[in-house]
Amino acid sequence: MRFGFLCKERGGARGRVAIVGAGPAGLAAAGYLACQGYEVDVYDKLPYPGGMMMFVIPSFRIPRDSIVEGVEDLEKRLSVKFVLKTKVFEGDDRHDEGDDFVERRVPLSKLVEEYDVVLITTGTWRSRSMGIEGENALGVVPALEYIYRWWLYEAKLTNEKPFIAKRVVVIGGGLAAIDAAEVALKRGAEEVFLVYRRTIREAPAGEYEIRRLVREGVNWIELAQPKRIVVENNVARGVEFVRMRLGEPDESGRPRPVPIPGSEFVIEADLVVPAIGEEPTPPMKSEVLGIKLDKRGRIVVDHEYRTGNEKVFAAGDVVTGPSMVGRATGSGLRAARAIDRFLRARLRTG
Amino acid sequence: MRTLRVINYDACIGCYTCEEVCRFLHEDRAYIKLYDVYGGLRKPISCFHCYTAPCVYACPTGAMHKDRDGATVVDPRRCIGCTCCIAACPFGIPELTPLGYVTKCDLCSDLRKQGLDPGCVAMCPAKAISWGSMEKVVESIRKRFLAKIMAPTIESVRETG
Repeated sequence: MRFGFLCKERGGARGRVAIVGAGPAGLAAAGYLACQGYEVDVYDKLPYPGGMMMFVIPSFRIPRDSIVEGVEDLEKRLSVKFVLKTKVFEGDDRHDEGDDFVERRVPLSKLVEEYDVVLITTGTWRSRSMGIEGENALGVVPALEYIYRWWLYEAKLTNEKPFIAKRVVVIGGGLAAIDAAEVALKRGAEEVFLVYRRTIREAPAGEYEIRRLVREGVNWIELAQPKRIVVENNVARGVEFVRMRLGEPDESGRPRPVPIPGSEFVIEADLVVPAIGEEPTPPMKSEVLGIKLDKRGRIVVDHEYRTGNEKVFAAGDVVTGPSMVGRATGSGLRAARAIDRFLRARLRTG
Repeated sequence: MRTLRVINYDACIGCYTCEEVCRFLHEDRAYIKLYDVYGGLRKPISCFHCYTAPCVYACPTGAMHKDRDGATVVDPRRCIGCTCCIAACPFGIPELTPLGYVTKCDLCSDLRKQGLDPGCVAMCPAKAISWGSMEKVVESIRKRFLAKIMAPTIESVRETG
């Protein structure tokens, strides 16, 4: 992934840009801006750039050397600087997934002061909670964290052996659920259940991915919603589900799943992996420095990727909610072009 | 130099990076696009830049032509929007713009002029799109195939090592 694909050599633009978050949006923006000639510093809480592409998406989907080559090209050829293991946040900290490596904390306001522009591309690094009894028991591990820990272990970034289990229940119907179920299967689980509250036709991951996993040996159970985690001595022993039926379409246009009373059943498991979606993780808990968040925690931007703060732009999943590598990349590129326009206009008007 | 672009559909993860980069480079119009083939299985399609390109033969004004790298490109000044090329193309690639001329993938002419790779090739996270001289591209496909059939053998050596 050659983020600096737009130039042979750096251009002559002048200015300093800080990018917070080294995922696809941040790296694509870094490549664009460095090609223009700006001095670009990229901050990330993880020990290596790449974000989800490096630490969550399984390597059989994205080969890691593809990211490493692109990052090294940014560093060596385009003089982009990476400030890693550093969490940028304004106000009281919030624990997100992937925070384990943080060694330094920098307030966002400090970057806003020091740089000409700050671009926020911090993505969605929090698993949505299910809001059911027993959710905090041992043996309940959100999909993001589950996949991420396996990757850290296999990349030898930690000696801590990840969660190993014989019977794994994955809850959800998106790509994170698919990847978690596949990781479980490949790492020696005997039985893997993938449970979704609607049917295969509504599952965001799509029929193809689900059928592929069924062929690999995953048990697909549809029209079931978790009611509580069965816990013994604070350890998860299984999940109680209730059967669902499809009702009238909801706000998303998909049929709303409705519980069928008295249809409860339990699947025994020693590991429960909720994968019911990720939430935006902006570097603040609520409105700060003029940067506004919407009801779902996403940073509010205008069509030029500007936040309410003149010097702060935002792009990628932290603006759109969970999407895909390509969507985040496109968003980062467009934001970078907007930043370039902003800085050039400011230079002209002095 | 005659060049080839080949998409490895097994490696492609359907992430939209090629489409988004292309759209970014071409005034909001993507010349490589993903389509859902079956239940969320998405793959990109773009011009194959045929050696004997039916669109070039069909074009009555010479607007559709081959450039030095073998890319099939349109000269919008000569295009009359007759859509012959659209009828001739077996893959549904050329498109008529609202302004009345045809556009299609030009393998990023502007980037190639600077000695750079087309955007989709450079940015694919899965390294699924290769582009270059015929020799280079076929060699990479052959090596990929060999790595695939030898994988179990290599794996068994690694396990003992």
